[in-house]
Amino acid sequence: MAEQEKLTPHSTASGAVSRRNFLGALAAAGAVAAFEQLAANPQAVLAAYEEQIVQGTLGQGRSSADLKALDVLERMRLELLRALQKPASERRWVMVIDLRKCIGCHACTIGCVAENKLPPGVVYRPVIEEEFGTYPNVARRFIPRPCMQCENPPCVPVCPVNATYTNAEGIVEMDYERCIGCRYCLTACPYSARVSDFGFTYTEELPVIQGLLGTATADDYERAPNFEYGKQYARQGRASPVGNARKCHFCQHRILEGVLPACVTTCIGRATFFGDANDPESLVAELIARPNVLRLREELGTEPRVYYLK
Amino acid sequence: MSDKPLLPEPERSETCALSRRDFLKLSAATGGAAALLGSLPAFDQLLAAQRQALSGNSPLSAPERQIYTVCLQCNTGCGIKVKIWEGIASKIEGNPYSPWTLHPHLPYSTPVAEAGSIEGGLCPKGQAGLQTAYDPYRIVSVLKRRPGTKRGEGQWVTISFEQALDEIINGGDLFGEGPVEGLKDVYALRDAKVAKAMSDFVKRIVDEKDAEKKRALVEEFKATFAADLDKLIDPDHPDLGPKNNQFAFIWGRLKNGRGDLVRRFVLSGLGSINANGHTTVCQGSLYFAGKALSEQWDGSKFTGGQKFYWQADLKNSRFVIFIGANMFEANYGPPLRVTPITEGAVDRGLRYVVVDPRFSKVASKAWKWIPIKPGEDSALGLGMMRWMFENDRINKRFLSAANKAAANAIGEASWTDAVWLVHIKNGKPDKLVRALELGLVTRQTEQDKDGKEVTVYVTEDGVKFKFDPFVALVDGKPTPVDPNSTELPVYGDLFVDTTLQNAKGETITVKSGLQIIRESAFEKTIEEYAAIADIQPSDIIELAREFTSYGTQAVIDIHRGASQHTNGFYTSFIFFTLNALIGNFDHKGGLSKPTTYDRLGSRAKGPFDLAKMNNGANVPFGLDILRTTISYEKSTIFNGYPAKRPWFPLATDVYQEDLPSIGDAYPYPVKIAMFYMSAINYALPAGHTTIEVLADPKKLPLIIASDIFVGETSMYADYIFPDLSYLERWEFHGTHPSVTYKVENVRNPAISLPGWPMVKVYGQEIPLSFEALVLGIAERLNLPGFGPNGLGEGVPFIYPEDYYLRMVANLAFGEKEDGSNSVPEADDREVEIFLKARAHLPKQVFDPVRWKAILGNDEKLWRQTIYVLNRGGRWQDEGKDYKGDLLSNAYAKQINLYQEKTAKTINSMTGEPFAGYPRYYPPHLSSTGKPIEDGDEYAFTLITYKEITMTKARTISNYWLLAVMPENTLLMNVADAQRLGLRNGDLVRISSASNPRGVWDLRNGSEVPMVGRLKVVQGIRPGVVAFGLGWGHWASGARDIVIDGQTVKGDVRRLAGFHANAAMRTDPVLQDVTLTDIAGGSAVFYSTKVKVEKA
Repeated sequence: MAEQEKLTPHSTASGAVSRRNFLGALAAAGAVAAFEQLAANPQAVLAAYEEQIVQGTLGQGRSSADLKALDVLERMRLELLRALQKPASERRWVMVIDLRKCIGCHACTIGCVAENKLPPGVVYRPVIEEEFGTYPNVARRFIPRPCMQCENPPCVPVCPVNATYTNAEGIVEMDYERCIGCRYCLTACPYSARVSDFGFTYTEELPVIQGLLGTATADDYERAPNFEYGKQYARQGRASPVGNARKCHFCQHRILEGVLPACVTTCIGRATFFGDANDPESLVAELIARPNVLRLREELGTEPRVYYLK
Repeated sequence: MSDKPLLPEPERSETCALSRRDFLKLSAATGGAAALLGSLPAFDQLLAAQRQALSGNSPLSAPERQIYTVCLQCNTGCGIKVKIWEGIASKIEGNPYSPWTLHPHLPYSTPVAEAGSIEGGLCPKGQAGLQTAYDPYRIVSVLKRRPGTKRGEGQWVTISFEQALDEIINGGDLFGEGPVEGLKDVYALRDAKVAKAMSDFVKRIVDEKDAEKKRALVEEFKATFAADLDKLIDPDHPDLGPKNNQFAFIWGRLKNGRGDLVRRFVLSGLGSINANGHTTVCQGSLYFAGKALSEQWDGSKFTGGQKFYWQADLKNSRFVIFIGANMFEANYGPPLRVTPITEGAVDRGLRYVVVDPRFSKVASKAWKWIPIKPGEDSALGLGMMRWMFENDRINKRFLSAANKAAANAIGEASWTDAVWLVHIKNGKPDKLVRALELGLVTRQTEQDKDGKEVTVYVTEDGVKFKFDPFVALVDGKPTPVDPNSTELPVYGDLFVDTTLQNAKGETITVKSGLQIIRESAFEKTIEEYAAIADIQPSDIIELAREFTSYGTQAVIDIHRGASQHTNGFYTSFIFFTLNALIGNFDHKGGLSKPTTYDRLGSRAKGPFDLAKMNNGANVPFGLDILRTTISYEKSTIFNGYPAKRPWFPLATDVYQEDLPSIGDAYPYPVKIAMFYMSAINYALPAGHTTIEVLADPKKLPLIIASDIFVGETSMYADYIFPDLSYLERWEFHGTHPSVTYKVENVRNPAISLPGWPMVKVYGQEIPLSFEALVLGIAERLNLPGFGPNGLGEGVPFIYPEDYYLRMVANLAFGEKEDGSNSVPEADDREVEIFLKARAHLPKQVFDPVRWKAILGNDEKLWRQTIYVLNRGGRWQDEGKDYKGDLLSNAYAKQINLYQEKTAKTINSMTGEPFAGYPRYYPPHLSSTGKPIEDGDEYAFTLITYKEITMTKARTISNYWLLAVMPENTLLMNVADAQRLGLRNGDLVRISSASNPRGVWDLRNGSEVPMVGRLKVVQGIRPGVVAFGLGWGHWASGARDIVIDGQTVKGDVRRLAGFHANAAMRTDPVLQDVTLTDIAGGSAVFYSTKVKVEKA
């Protein structure tokens, strides 16, 4: 089994705070009058906390801050925390990609590879480059292409073993344990957003020789587990996800931790946006109502949850 | 919609994560005790709880699994956080405290416990850095060239660290090629007192102008130091300095911390003057134009010019012209500078122009792309300048301010000398006019407050100056100017072209600096300038009009494309002059300069005043091999014009001159060279010419390299000492001009590779590293500044942290002597995070007990130091970088638009003085200033650029990046390709007049052809071809080598692409070096004419 037992959050290995430690920390800390009233009333505490989120002042050390003064990454992170207060079924995750801000740097491509420990041949988020026009009137366009997380995903019904499905938040997931690697879903996806993991690593067949670091150590980072779907998949032998279909999952394991998807945080042009479209105050809700919004291959009726701004 | 619940939720109850409901219950349960939130901020605590409730899905978000440090995948130096899983660097993100990756960055006071799930943006190279650290081709033993084999043959033996040190220090018949001198032989002059006395005497010799007297002084020198003459390179030329100078340290990418170590080792340790950097291969002429622009009058001379330049404060600019600045793919650098451009252009109405022959990614988003003829940027600049003068679109208020008092009175921080008067001799601008010669002041003597006799210059009205002041016309009246006066503002007449009577009654012709600049701009018409640059006159006018339409929120930001030409110094000068004409220096949205916190503890005189912490220091003196420290005319080896090789009185660190100078033994032979993080032959234009010297032990008897693998240059070394990667070591990365905040970025060890070798120096174990190499040599040669008393009596320098941790403490303490500028102390939680995050590091790398002892077991300072390390640096908070419309970290000094110092400097290749004002020079000239004609056969101009996935020599090991872009291509315009019958994807050979076969000759019968794949595009100027740097390796794991008889197979992925630097034009006079800007030192990348033919 590639899926290892899920670690206790912030487990002892790194010494992070366990629940018990957290209680201990609460108990051990000295009292400060100013917080007593708040703390005595947990409801009020949470309300105030949410207020801070809404105001964009949470953890910012700001007395008052305009959300717009924050890096959009910070605004979206705070909105993410707000969304996570709601039941999963009430959230509607969408991604918005502003092509005017995409500079074709591939930071998202590599960020995704690094986050999900993707092997050679497996890319969840390529960026397509195009050139138009005639010198000197030339244009270049860069189009990142994650999984569209379709509302009507053509990849799901074709799976013979129900290894792929849409979860409560609308993310099309893979169950690596069920997947038999038949690749029907790869064929069915009109966006070519699915790929097969053939089990390669970047460092295989490289030298192991006295005097050099060698592959034994050099592949450590590749073998370390990823955390897809909240589990741990270390890359070992033929175990899952080797042999499976793989795809973008909006970094669900990060989202649930209050961290934006890797392609969003790493975007140096700030071209990629993520959030809960059901939250009318959210940045993504604002963006998908813009007149220059579009989705890829609307005519197929797949209803993508990925929007582009042109 | 859902046929399965959200995965992690059911697992939560088992994994102690809290749902919101749980959290409420928990809070209720803790009830009265909730009071217990304590000294931690309530909301931070709650946020932590909230995160707790969500955690388990992505354990790397725990702050205990993260170390904040600094990237070095390129020189931008973005703050990063390294996420660590069981001791392995698992992922790299942007550090949100760093203004490089989050805009604005987190407040510095944000608890590090909270920042675990906050990430800034990071470019693909930054993320792929794991593969630089975990590179199978990294060396873990000292490698020695196998005796009996030639340099560069790729035959190595592993030897112990101790044996390697013994051999490089003691020398001997190391390779069966006869005796080789070791470091002990070159470390000849060891007595600092003698060195100081010699150094002082040499100053007298070089300052003596009379040839006869100079010779006499040399004889006197020889008599005075008769006992020590054997320690000199040549007693007949004492100004060459001691034999110690025959050790040359040559670095590629060196950052502070290690840079301080190098200076301590080479200069004050070994007493060699040759600690030589690589500036001119980057943007030398831009740096040295900055130096000339920033020289300040100290009362007797112009001095203290900073090797630096200015960049745009993009986040507040409204109009920007980027000249040869590849903002989205390279420059300094993507995470730092892309965001304000993309967001500015889409959300803030930023309008920008890209001037570049290639349609770069940044050009693709620009308001306007100007595909200029390579090297002719200055024609565009002067055309704009002419239009601005003609249309009266200059900032007269700013330009009229002749000194500090005047600038400050009108709300400016900086000022220019634009209105100062300049002598015109034989029609040419010469010296600055002084008040005494005009009789505006009289020279008098008086006693200063200590009773010492001093000369003062006094006006009729009794105003006193400590020096003979400069002069400006004020409403036509000559008026003395003290540039640094805060009391006597002078606002001068802008355009002066007149004659004056001097005190002797002679008529002299004078002009204001601005008049000289105006005349320079008027040398050609806008149409003529447009024709030179092959652009439209309307482009020039449109740019000039826009540039002058946004007040001081318009700016021209220049980089390598402007500076890496033979006219780079003057092109840079022109564009900074344009910026000055609108007065945008120090303004929000205008030009910004770099500002860092003081790691050396000099400003606060502590807690560790490291420059002074030394148990005796050697005194290096004499001429450096690049000929930058003494001017040609003053040296005893002056022999008329042209000099044998150029001298660089206005520049330093002229990288392309290191090896040719060594090869020519000019000014003297070098016995031992140590290369640090250098791929000099790969990085330089015409770098192939250096291989002749590298490969020849007769020209360079001993080469020592510090490298992480067997690289393009280190493959020619006799010894390679393995180094740590940037994720395993210390450095202080500093900043860039565009960063408006005061900052310092601290690179500190995030990982240690399993089984990494530890070696003993001064009896203690430290990781095999560059520091180990330096400390090992220092120990064996007993160098001052190192060892048990290296930092002063009883203060050891035996661990790297003895030095570096004190620097961090200095940053933490701040720059006020009373400590009022210090950072907060880490609280218990922060200390806990600090320790746990580093629990995977071996004791030799991280030892909190030893570290705390280094700081004198000062609990407060220790916690402050932890506070800095926990964040990976120190940064001023957002908002503190402005005071009204001005930058808080303002340059606030004089900008020399007319440069007397430059005008008085002689070009060693022509014997003519340099021009002291911005003027047009064509590109592509020889070292003696002659045009180069290579014939119609070489029809294309070759330029280079960087793809965002590559950084010259050091990212070829990053397989993730190679997956995105496996190889580079030669970009050619569709029209050119059609004309030549070439098609997209064709393999083509690139050759030039100085490399007609189009090959890299690696010696030992090995050649690499310059053959690459063609990419036919619309987005490049016809007649220009371009390639991205970073591919086409012949070492660094690309080709087979042999270690201890075993073949290490090269990896074809690392062999991919091509490298066409060897096609770049050699200087027709010198023949063994690239074209060079003799003023600013730049190596020329963008003007070679090449032939492109189907391979």
